[in-house]
Amino acid sequence: METPVQNSIPQRDPALVMRLNRLGSMHQCRLSFMRVLTRRLAKENWSFARPVFDVDAKGVGHAVYTATGPVRTYSLVAFAHDLPPEMRSDRVIATAWDATFTLFDGVPTAEDIERLSKNVPYQEAGRVNEKSLSVSRANRSVRLWEHMVDALSKGEQPDAAKVASVGYLMRTTAVYGSGKLGAADHETIADRPEFDAPFQAEMLSVFLTRAFVRDMINHLAHARGGDQAAELASEIAHGLGIGNSTGLGMAPFLINHPVLLNNWVAAREEAIARVRSLNTVTEAQENLFRSLFARVQVLVKAWRSEHPVQIKKLEALKADLDQIATRLNNDDLTADAPWDRLLNWTSEALSEEGQELIASLILEPYGDLVDNLSSAMSDHRPDAFRILGSMSVAALRDLMRGTYGWALETDWSAQENCARAWYVSEEKLEPRLGERFEEPIADYEQPLAPGRDVARAFDDLKTWDASTPIAEFLLKHPEHRHSIRRVQINACAPYSEIQDNTICADMMPIDMLRYKLATFGATHFDPRSDRWVRICMFGNAPYPEELTNENADFWVYPDAEGQT
Amino acid sequence: MSYALNEIEALAKRAVRGAGMSWGTAEEAAKATCWLCRNGIDGAGVLSALLRQNAEKAEQDLRPVATTGLWQTLGGGPLCPLLSGATLSDCAVALKDSPISMQNLSFPVLLLPFLASAAAQLGCTLTLECDAGTGSTDGNGLALSGEGFLQVKSADVVIRIGDLSGEILPQDSRATPAPKAWDTLNTYAHKTYAPATEASRLAGAGAGLSDND
Repeated sequence: METPVQNSIPQRDPALVMRLNRLGSMHQCRLSFMRVLTRRLAKENWSFARPVFDVDAKGVGHAVYTATGPVRTYSLVAFAHDLPPEMRSDRVIATAWDATFTLFDGVPTAEDIERLSKNVPYQEAGRVNEKSLSVSRANRSVRLWEHMVDALSKGEQPDAAKVASVGYLMRTTAVYGSGKLGAADHETIADRPEFDAPFQAEMLSVFLTRAFVRDMINHLAHARGGDQAAELASEIAHGLGIGNSTGLGMAPFLINHPVLLNNWVAAREEAIARVRSLNTVTEAQENLFRSLFARVQVLVKAWRSEHPVQIKKLEALKADLDQIATRLNNDDLTADAPWDRLLNWTSEALSEEGQELIASLILEPYGDLVDNLSSAMSDHRPDAFRILGSMSVAALRDLMRGTYGWALETDWSAQENCARAWYVSEEKLEPRLGERFEEPIADYEQPLAPGRDVARAFDDLKTWDASTPIAEFLLKHPEHRHSIRRVQINACAPYSEIQDNTICADMMPIDMLRYKLATFGATHFDPRSDRWVRICMFGNAPYPEELTNENADFWVYPDAEGQT
Repeated sequence: MSYALNEIEALAKRAVRGAGMSWGTAEEAAKATCWLCRNGIDGAGVLSALLRQNAEKAEQDLRPVATTGLWQTLGGGPLCPLLSGATLSDCAVALKDSPISMQNLSFPVLLLPFLASAAAQLGCTLTLECDAGTGSTDGNGLALSGEGFLQVKSADVVIRIGDLSGEILPQDSRATPAPKAWDTLNTYAHKTYAPATEASRLAGAGAGLSDND
């Protein structure tokens, strides 16, 4: 591992990075959790098996997929169901799915399977125990599933254009981890090296789910077509990822986990700063970058969306890619801090989509320099939660004027600036966003408007003496505790706060979803509304049994014609 | 039933908020409840008992008036261990100079997680003493002495720098709250949930498109 020298280029300003527009334009990178997972699995030579595949001709049954590393084995236990179309819903309020899963810690016994079969298919209405590390479910893409089974059962391969237009056979509609529904708390497995980076259990579960889905389609085609059925061609199988349909739940997560958000953003920003600080670039590094740039264009070309906002962003991104191509044709990337020059240019010339795509792409040749940052992406600082009561009122005010300056200048009495309220519905405890002045929801508001709340605390602090310890203020104003905590966390975690209004009339929750999903490593963001997005995970990835050090890293970029 | 501590924390936070306390206090109360569970104490049980007792009372009638001298409420009524605890953690540094005494503190066991927070800040062990016994913590471990200490509903207490005396309780990674306590917490948590309407069902989560595609 190269030891980075002092960066000559600093990390980017949180006031630039932590805006919703920019977070909503993020792209996957080397530090994305899916890629951290596949690199580790390959490097440690994990082995994979399918000890159970007990599914009938109608597609009902269960299967077990194991992943064995240097110390432990994990098993994806999958239950396949025959779901009537009228019950198919991606919403949290659904009660049945095409398939349900749990990632089991170890290898399940027959008794474990029996117990899980009575709980996992019911998801929120069931219970698991600490042997489960995640609980998830998935629905079929009806249009692609039926086409595939039909074609394969007749001995034909599915229509490539149809496959490409969807990109997956099943989409997960929730992947629960960390203690949900009785599963193991993340804290109880956090000391295992394989879970060093965030969300690795969940990513492993999805990686194995992709193999299950491929096997299911072959199984059902064979059940229908018998001996004339064809096996799904591996080049088509590779193109398939696992879809995911994500609603509002991810947005509160980012606000409720400020240290985690900081660590995710800071890791990528530090990686960018390290690479920008390089004065020279080797020919091999330049060639890798240029070849991946060709491949990322293929990725973007295959990205489809019907949402007007994303359609516009995609058009801008495609124009950005043309501009970058022109510039790369005329620029020698080997000398005079080429990455810094490139990024400086993008910030003037490109949309935020294009800027962030390049910021991610320049990291690719530098695994040795940046990959170790993934272990800093977990939250190892539970103490950050503790309020420092001895801090003076003056010091608090200064901190507020910094990060929250925008909020102190916002007129919070204007309806458009607080038009929305986040709340939890009593129906399956689903997080929702409502119209404050049109629905009876204000009394149920969740604390998900840090800007407004800090501005309120700032107002109440005005009459307090500058030297007073904040402990005295909080004794009289416990309603500001959560805000004071956030301000203090931000003092040592500069990327912990979204520096935008999260309750204004034109806020787009999908920006928050996009950031989180990009950090996971997702591609093909396809918003279904302003608060609901579909994506693709592990598209183009090797299947578990094919994973090697050679293909574990750059799978996310499809092959470009004429490139290797 | 066995619960993950994250489940305990999530429900406790909503319950404390549902009982009328501020979000910040609810966040700390939830972590405090988990801390007790991790030390093998029925955190959900004691929290549910406290919330029932606090019902209908305003935060300002349950918190210490000031942090100088004896800590007490305005009218001498019961001090809430969550509000007093949060303040104790905020004022931890004062314990270096002198012990802190609290009058008529409800459920002293619920103050222990906040002693742990203060102890971690000071890098020492803190002890809570009352007639029924003592609890001491260095921030992580917890040692108790005195039969019935866990059941004390109200006491005058003194917090001071001390030693980790007695046997340290074994740590636990799960909790098994009594169904009645769990139900009580759910009842309070429910007060934070907005009743579902057809409009919110469709618009609030942003769906509406068919998923049969």
